[in-house]
Amino acid sequence: MQLDWTTFILEILNFLVLVWILKRFLYRPVLDLLATRQQKLSDAAEHAQKMCEEAEALRLQYESRLADWQRECENNRRQLHEELALTRTREMDNLKKALAAEEEKLRARNEKLLASRESVLARSAVDKAYEQAAAMLNRMASPQLTQKIVDIFLEDLAALNETDQSALRKAAASLSADSLAAVVSAHPLDQDLQAAIRKALSGAAGQDIDLDSAFSEDPSLIAGIRTIVGECQMHANLADELAFFKRQANHAK
Amino acid sequence: MIGSELGAEIVAKIGPVEITNTVATTWGIMLLFTLLALLVRWQLQTEPNRLQTLVEAVLTAIDEALIEILPPDSVRRVLPFVATLWLFVLTANLVGLIPGLHSPTRDLSATSALAALVFAASHWFGIRGRGLKNHFRHYIEPSIILLPFHIISEISRTLALAVRLFGNMMSLEMAALLVLLIAGFLVPVPLLMLHVVEAVIQAYIFGMLALIYIAGALEAEANETTSNSSEENHE
Repeated sequence: MQLDWTTFILEILNFLVLVWILKRFLYRPVLDLLATRQQKLSDAAEHAQKMCEEAEALRLQYESRLADWQRECENNRRQLHEELALTRTREMDNLKKALAAEEEKLRARNEKLLASRESVLARSAVDKAYEQAAAMLNRMASPQLTQKIVDIFLEDLAALNETDQSALRKAAASLSADSLAAVVSAHPLDQDLQAAIRKALSGAAGQDIDLDSAFSEDPSLIAGIRTIVGECQMHANLADELAFFKRQANHAK
Repeated sequence: MIGSELGAEIVAKIGPVEITNTVATTWGIMLLFTLLALLVRWQLQTEPNRLQTLVEAVLTAIDEALIEILPPDSVRRVLPFVATLWLFVLTANLVGLIPGLHSPTRDLSATSALAALVFAASHWFGIRGRGLKNHFRHYIEPSIILLPFHIISEISRTLALAVRLFGNMMSLEMAALLVLLIAGFLVPVPLLMLHVVEAVIQAYIFGMLALIYIAGALEAEANETTSNSSEENHE
């Protein structure tokens, strides 16, 4: 155990040389390589992190766009449903209105057809009733019935109201050679009855009316007479009464 | 015979300079490391082979050990010295296992030289890191009365560093030699295993203490307590 200064100094020098050699040829290259590798790893990690962030951002963007698209689809679908419902309601209303109009038109047409048919039927019925009544009255007609009707005519003529009497007097006043008074009867009238008619007619007209050649027969009157004084006609026969009833019935229809 | 085995022998003479077997073995270790460095440097590549992987693992372990203790900006500056110290002391301790060779660290001259280097390195890095004035200011803080104690502490820990390694390695080789002489061949094998363990431990302690001294110089106040406690534990 002794200290050799030569060895001491040489060991110091040796160690310093070894430090330099190792630093120059081992530590620095290896540590630089490790640093480079670490830097590459850091860069790769940073790049991966950046890519991950970009991917996350893209994912969020995609999800956002998808959500917007779904929201838009939902809005469009809802809008479409609303428009369809509105259109359906409108079309249904139009259809109902058209159906109602068609129904109304059809009903009116039916009613018109029915009315027309009823009118035709009524007219036919009236015609038949007239024909049958006329046929029955023809069978019942007789000079006595005509005389009876003339009697009633004379009574009515005597009780003529002021208006009809005025019209009769006016017509009698306007008599001339072209328009003479005439009395048409269903059956021949005897002299007395003719004289009674002349007298009653002259009395109602307020002047003497010449009826010497005015009497004639028309069997179509069935029974009764038709008196013509100028423009004024007085019907007291069954045919005219039936015709009157027939006109009234047709007019009412 | 034992004295000749344990003492440093002069193996060569270059002019007036006597070359002992300690220096010769050291040169051999230097040659080995130089070849290794050149080989690694020559084969250095991004995809490492086995040797490069081993070297990278060792350097990474040393780097991490330094990062835990030193300020971050001082690691790259201190790493070559501390790493070389660890590798050299470990190799020098293990060289004794080779028949015919002796550990350079069983020579007080070699361990004293290493301790002197650690002493100088701690001040060198301290001055470089904190400046001359700031570095030496902590010797008179908190009071100038503590200056002698600081100086005694510096000298004693340097001596302890040298003597600890020398004593351990010399006693180990002596014990192995005595057992070999008394018991014969193959019997000292368990002792040689102990030699390996002791060599690793002493290299670790030497390097770690050097690291702590340097760290103490770089951060005097912060590491003073750590340095003392670690030294006590290793003792």
